[in-house]
Amino acid sequence: MMETTDSNRNLLSVEKIDTYIGQFHILEGVSVDVAKGSITVLLGRNGAGKTTTLKTIMGLTPPRNGRVIFDGQEIQGKQAFKIANFGIGYVPENRAVFRALTVMENLKLAERKKGDLDRHADFIFELFPDLERLSKLKGNQLSGGQQQMLAVARALVPDNKLLLIDEPSEGLAPILIQQMMEAIRKLRETTTILLVEQNFIMASQLAERYVIIDDGKSVHRGLMSDLVQNQDLIHQYLGASIQAPISTSEAQ
Amino acid sequence: MSHNSKKLLYSVIGVLVVAGVVFGLYTYAGQEAFIRTTLSGLTLGSLFFLVAAGLTLIFGLMDVLNFAHGSMFMIGAYTGWQFYTNPTFIFGVLPLVLAFATTVMLIPVIKPRLVRLDLSEAWQKSLPKLAYIAALLVAVLALVKFDILGLAKTAMVAATTTSSNPLAELSPQEPLPRFLLRILLLMLSGAFVAVGLSKPGNRTEVSAPEPLKKRLILPVVLFVLTIIFTLVRESASEGVLLMNGNLRFALAIIAATLFGFLLGALIEITMIRPLYVRSFFIVLMTLGMSFVMRELVQVLWDPLAYQMVRPPLFAQPGRATTIAEWLMNGSSTISIAGVTFPTYRLFVILLGVVMFVFVTLLMNRSRLGMIIRAGVQDPQMVEALGINVKRVFTLVFALGVALASLGGIGAAPFLPVQPMMGDQYQMQGFITVVIGGMGSYVGAFVGAMILGMARAFGDYFALKLQLSPTIAEASTVIIMIIVLILRPQGLFGKKD
Ligand SMILES: Nc1ncnc2c1ncn2[C@@H]1O[C@H](COP(=O)(O)OP(=O)(O)OP(=O)(O)O)[C@@H](O)[C@H]1O
Ligand SMILES: [Mg+2]
Repeated sequence: MMETTDSNRNLLSVEKIDTYIGQFHILEGVSVDVAKGSITVLLGRNGAGKTTTLKTIMGLTPPRNGRVIFDGQEIQGKQAFKIANFGIGYVPENRAVFRALTVMENLKLAERKKGDLDRHADFIFELFPDLERLSKLKGNQLSGGQQQMLAVARALVPDNKLLLIDEPSEGLAPILIQQMMEAIRKLRETTTILLVEQNFIMASQLAERYVIIDDGKSVHRGLMSDLVQNQDLIHQYLGASIQAPISTSEAQ
Repeated sequence: MSHNSKKLLYSVIGVLVVAGVVFGLYTYAGQEAFIRTTLSGLTLGSLFFLVAAGLTLIFGLMDVLNFAHGSMFMIGAYTGWQFYTNPTFIFGVLPLVLAFATTVMLIPVIKPRLVRLDLSEAWQKSLPKLAYIAALLVAVLALVKFDILGLAKTAMVAATTTSSNPLAELSPQEPLPRFLLRILLLMLSGAFVAVGLSKPGNRTEVSAPEPLKKRLILPVVLFVLTIIFTLVRESASEGVLLMNGNLRFALAIIAATLFGFLLGALIEITMIRPLYVRSFFIVLMTLGMSFVMRELVQVLWDPLAYQMVRPPLFAQPGRATTIAEWLMNGSSTISIAGVTFPTYRLFVILLGVVMFVFVTLLMNRSRLGMIIRAGVQDPQMVEALGINVKRVFTLVFALGVALASLGGIGAAPFLPVQPMMGDQYQMQGFITVVIGGMGSYVGAFVGAMILGMARAFGDYFALKLQLSPTIAEASTVIIMIIVLILRPQGLFGKKD
């Protein structure tokens, strides 16, 4: 497990960002560090600001203050497509696959260089065998779970150093959650991941580190192995969002 | 399943209605009138499609209603007409535009240095403004006493003389030394603009630049073109006027389309892009732009109507019985199933169909088409994949304007070329888009053909039954209302 907090080892450092949407001050000094080769999870209630944090990193809702450092470069304030081209893949919540495009076209669109898809097709279809079978169907003909897989697969087409994945388990049946977890576990062998996940079991099994976002602030951070034993913290900030209680026997 | 069967039912009803209408018209009008009117309808429909295709693509992707689209149609007609009749004006102005563009396009070359400059915030703000003022002053200086009206009037002379020597209409261009001075000054002006646009001192714009060689390609190409077109200002006009009329017409089409494309790109980048967040202003802005363009054209060419001469392939008196005969003799009319029909109008129908095929292939087979289809739904997500969506917006806008411009030059040989010629087509273009469904190019094609038919048959009935000719115009609005009641999202529109 990565124990280091050495900032040189961080692939991504979000430093005290303030993000406004219109007049609303959504993020107030959020800081998140993601160590190279690790999975970090953002936890927090609905509406806490997890999605906005990912969007801010991605440049979709640029921060007004603060810095975002990726791979040694300041990227805040740059256009989203440039940020993506630094090597960041984004899997949005709500399965934002392109409905008018076929599965294959959805993947093809994510290419940054010619041949990206060809190089990674085997890997992608090994993770999500269903997609190969469905490759000619349009996005609007897929089930929710299939769309979710496509959304993740799309981020794997180019060579990304970092993946931002927003609630991959949202609305998935238990067996699919298992498959998604397997996929993400396999991904971390090659990439670094910043995950947003409401399913606490999934989050605790995947991530090494966590950051809790509450009401637009990053209020707590640390090792996942510490958090699972800290029932107080879990109840204080995550409360209802925990889908299944961590049994005390497991925590012991 | 029930969704599919519903769809099937609608399709069957649609086919039955169309077949019924066609049969009714056929038996009522008789074969001869039916075929003639149908062909006229297809001609109009083709032009409607060329206008509506751009409108619907632009609206679908960017939610922009371009009220200057009719003016772009008109500009295309004027550009093509100028090029075909007497390109003195075009070749007189082109080097100046190229010179200005050359240095503006230096932005990628100078920007990486300028953004790294250490400037106080006050300077960062004021330096671009100073640069723009300087650019304006220098540009004014560059154009002092430039006889642009004189140049423009050359084609009017052409329209009124009936000399058999095409070169008799040419008028001389300015002497070279003075013209070169203008070129230099405009390059200086463009350089100022480039400095302003580079945002000197703005470190957030710092990014790893592409290799210098790649960044220099465009400015160097433009510079070479500037020199070439400066030197051939007079001989180019001569050359164009002496060449085969059909070739000249083909070049006129290319010139008008290309100019439309570049004009569209320029308008999108400079005027529409800053307003995406306030889309209502775009409506006002494009509306205002249409007035400006109309006035500009009136200043240059007076508020007159010109008739462009048909190219030789469509101009020889006589009626061909086969397509081969027409192509050999260049007959002005052709006999189709016993009906005499102008060959040029057949060409316009062909133009519309070819462009429909082109747009279909573009949307379904190219990466750009894929990006457009995805961007219609979620431009932010497309951007998050690493695609420069802004550039795609520019491209689509430019493409839409190019299609309208192509429609304009296509119409020029059989419609009077005059400042208001686009207004009616814009109106019909909007109705087409509503009927076909916002954002659907297939809808634009079907809608355009329906409207073309309605206009043609409306005219036919007005004549035959001695009704007011406005019935033809009203018919398209009536069709729109019927469609809106039965299917508010348009024939091919998506619900939501
Ligand atoms: N476009 C917007 N306009 C105004 N407020 C917004 C907008 N988008 C998000 N917000 C607000 O920002 C806050 C954070 O939203 P965000 O989507 O980041 O939450 P989240 O932590 O991802 O929640 P969830 O777990 O429900 O996905 C919310 O209070 C939300 O109401
Ligand atoms: Mg969220």
